[in-house]
Amino acid sequence: MPDYRNKLSSRYAIFAGIVFAVLGLLFIKLWTMQVLHGQAYAAQAEENRVREITVPAARGRIFDRNGKALVTNRATLAVAVAPSAAKNQAMIQRLSALLDIPVSEINDKIASTKEAALAPRVVAIDVPLDTVAYLAEHESQFPGVEVRTHAVREYPQGKLAAHVLGYSGEISDTQMADPEFKNYEPTDFVGKAGAEASFESVLQGDRGKRILQVDASGQPRGVIEEVEPVPGRDVKLTIDSRVQKIAERALADAMVDAHNDHFPHAKAGAAVALDVRTGEVLAMASAPTYDPNIFLGGVSEKTWRSLTTTSSEYPLSNRAISGQYPAASTFKAVTGLAGLQYGKTTQWRQYDCEGSWTKMGKQWRKWCWNHAGHGIESFMAGITDSCDVVFYEIGYSFYKDKPKREYIQKMAREFGFGSKLGIDLPGETAGRVPDAKWKRSYNEDYPEYATWLPGDTVNLAIGQGDLLVTPLQLASAYGAIANGGKVVRPHIMKQVLGTDGKPVLTAKPIPAHVPKVSKRNVSIMRSALKTVTTTGTGAGAFRGFEGTVAGKTGTAQVANKDDYAWFVGYVPADNPKYVVAVMVEQGGHGGSVAGPAARQIFDALMGHEVAHVTASDRSR
Amino acid sequence: MKERSTFLGAVNPMLITVVVALAVYGSIVVNAAVTGMDAGPGMFKRHLFGLAIGLVPLIVAWIFDYRTLEGWTGPLVGLTCFLIISPRIPGLGATAKGAQLWLEIAGIRLFQPSEPAKLVFIVALAAVIASQKGRISEFRDVARILAMAAVPFVLVVAVGDLGTALVFAAITIGMLLVGGLSGRWFIALGLAGIVLVGAVLGLNAIVDKATGQDKLLKQYQMDRLMVFIDPSVDPKGAGYNLEQSKIAIGSGELTGKGLKSGTQSRLNFLPERHTDFIFSVLGEELGFAGAVTLLALYLLLLFTSLEISAQSRDLFGALICTGIIAMWTFQILENMGMTIGLMPITGIPLPFMSYGASFMVTNLMATGMLLSVWARRRA
Repeated sequence: MPDYRNKLSSRYAIFAGIVFAVLGLLFIKLWTMQVLHGQAYAAQAEENRVREITVPAARGRIFDRNGKALVTNRATLAVAVAPSAAKNQAMIQRLSALLDIPVSEINDKIASTKEAALAPRVVAIDVPLDTVAYLAEHESQFPGVEVRTHAVREYPQGKLAAHVLGYSGEISDTQMADPEFKNYEPTDFVGKAGAEASFESVLQGDRGKRILQVDASGQPRGVIEEVEPVPGRDVKLTIDSRVQKIAERALADAMVDAHNDHFPHAKAGAAVALDVRTGEVLAMASAPTYDPNIFLGGVSEKTWRSLTTTSSEYPLSNRAISGQYPAASTFKAVTGLAGLQYGKTTQWRQYDCEGSWTKMGKQWRKWCWNHAGHGIESFMAGITDSCDVVFYEIGYSFYKDKPKREYIQKMAREFGFGSKLGIDLPGETAGRVPDAKWKRSYNEDYPEYATWLPGDTVNLAIGQGDLLVTPLQLASAYGAIANGGKVVRPHIMKQVLGTDGKPVLTAKPIPAHVPKVSKRNVSIMRSALKTVTTTGTGAGAFRGFEGTVAGKTGTAQVANKDDYAWFVGYVPADNPKYVVAVMVEQGGHGGSVAGPAARQIFDALMGHEVAHVTASDRSR
Repeated sequence: MKERSTFLGAVNPMLITVVVALAVYGSIVVNAAVTGMDAGPGMFKRHLFGLAIGLVPLIVAWIFDYRTLEGWTGPLVGLTCFLIISPRIPGLGATAKGAQLWLEIAGIRLFQPSEPAKLVFIVALAAVIASQKGRISEFRDVARILAMAAVPFVLVVAVGDLGTALVFAAITIGMLLVGGLSGRWFIALGLAGIVLVGAVLGLNAIVDKATGQDKLLKQYQMDRLMVFIDPSVDPKGAGYNLEQSKIAIGSGELTGKGLKSGTQSRLNFLPERHTDFIFSVLGEELGFAGAVTLLALYLLLLFTSLEISAQSRDLFGALICTGIIAMWTFQILENMGMTIGLMPITGIPLPFMSYGASFMVTNLMATGMLLSVWARRRA
């Protein structure tokens, strides 16, 4: 036995100990990693391989009452630029040339604060395929630029009913902060105006998600779980696109008529047509209008400014529900009903119109629009001819009857003036029915103007003074006269459709107000309004109209502006179905500008051949 | 004393059983690892081919009487050095992964000569140390042994194969331990080693700064070292591999995700999953149970080898076995250790498990050398 063995046996022990220690160390480390902390590592491995992608839900479509598509969806290729790319102006130059969009517009869109701070801004949609291919091939030349498919709204009828339909866009930061939008994500599309906004909860679907397995380079390797998006519901509106089209055209024609009638400032107006029994809105037009397509892919600051400056006449505003105007002579129906109801006049009471009226004193002379005077006028004729003196008398008698001094206002409020009717569109305004209390608080800082004077009531009686109404309120009030005395809440939504296209929800007429006025007095007013279009201020506009129309013209005086033209009326006069109100800002006389426009809308509603007549009316 | 000449006496059944088990286990895991790779099926065939080729040196080494090599120290050291530098000889070398470590003749890639060089080095060092008869305490002797070991070590460092250099160092330490280096010298050499490492790092910094170039230690080597110290410094860069490997092994939990079902390996989160990170695949797909099975097989391999070493007829044979054990132990520690964050990342493969013919052939040859010592053990 060699002598080294005994000498080295302790060395072997140490060596074996080291070998054993190495394996033991590995064992212990593996035990802690795989057994003690295995679950944490398993979670990390899971996080590594799993990516969740949200799949946007298709937004619900919008149809007119006959099922004609007004708003649908389409997919488009969009080019988006990261905000950080703004520093690289050389690249923006190249992109501008490629997309044929001015550099300033791209920069505008990148600088937009309407989107989340770091989200890429869509600068172009409907990008042609060859451009997309070029961008893909020259990716390195376009850092921060991405191409994505983008679902956008499509408007098969173009600008038609733009104010009713509204528009949608990426959710804003302020909306994100709103609890109403708590389930939304920063890039979600939401309705911003019109029906898109009011039916947001219905149109918006539920996002789907796709859980993907990805490899180390982020490439998808298969789908682990998929939750299909639930598309938003389709909505059927009460709008009749045929009538809507004619209403918009009639409004445009009215402005041409006004220009021809030497009212060159007529640039804006509104028209609304309602079903008198159900409150369904068959048409709602507002001028000037806008093209909803400009909002696709985000609107630039410049475009936004151009839509919101004074000189633009605010095309985004829906004047039919948010414009507030003096009602002028159209209000005489309300004053008249109050007079009849509260004993201040009777159907055949006689008044003497000498062209002006001085019952409040010679220094407070009030003129009739007809300075030559109407002579002896009945109450009925006062409506027909729109004689101011008749209504000065009625207003003044209310003023003198202290307990009933504000009964014109009472009647006005009962007909829906001075408060929102509650139409299912955003942006409705309340208008204003002035009274002593209002005047006191309105002129709080000017005590000398704070007292309600007889002239205030007299002015209110002819629809001037501080009275403000919306075209919708006026149409709705005349609808109440037409249907026998009920104010029905106007509405734009007819049905919500299920996925099978069958209605899951149908709107029902909701009475908003029931004015305290007798059937007899309503029928007196209806017979008076009937004479307006045959022998009165609206006769010219309705000459040769097939069927009967009852209504009232109005010519509103607005400080520093040309007169505003009104017509409101309903057809058929004896069995009313539809009420129409037309208003043209600075259009001049109601009978010559608004009346002919209303006539076209009536024609459309009744299925007549649409006639554009010219008429001359100098009444107020 | 009489030599055993019967065939049965030449066979160590435990060693052969363990090596066969490791080769089978390794093939299963390599097959799982290369599945899904573009060249996967071909790679697995090459792995099996490497196993078959390896039987030749195994049998040759087994039959060959190791004792005839005892007097060949000089030529063996020369061969070691030649093998190490051969890839750098024009017309012989080929580059892979940034280092020129392959032998290539006429465009045909042959093998990594640093692998067999380890075995040649072991034999040469064993011969030198054995001549001390188990007693190394004189300065002259220590210097002679270290000088002999230093030549190939320096060459390996010079060709940039830091991993192999560490294997050489581990072999040397193991053999000095069993070969009888005195305790005082171990302490002295340990201190010298620390000073040397410090000096190299310092010199590296100075030289890099002075020349403005990455001269001595390469930047990626430094990065690996830094990442080992704190893997979170750069999870997508140098620390990424370590992080992903740890996730793979840890997420294997007790029983693993099943062969070919590891998400970390299938989805390419693991780099080099068939070679350096083969254990990460094993850990992920077979779990703690699979890892412990491997550790048990290694325990049997190393202790059977220790037994063979102890049963050696002479100190030379005992030291050859010691060198092989030290080589395997270090490679197991380094390779498994780096996949679980115990050791810095180097390109050292896992014995009998990693894909790679040169390495497999070397391990089988080492097995043959162990059997050669066993076959000629004392009665």
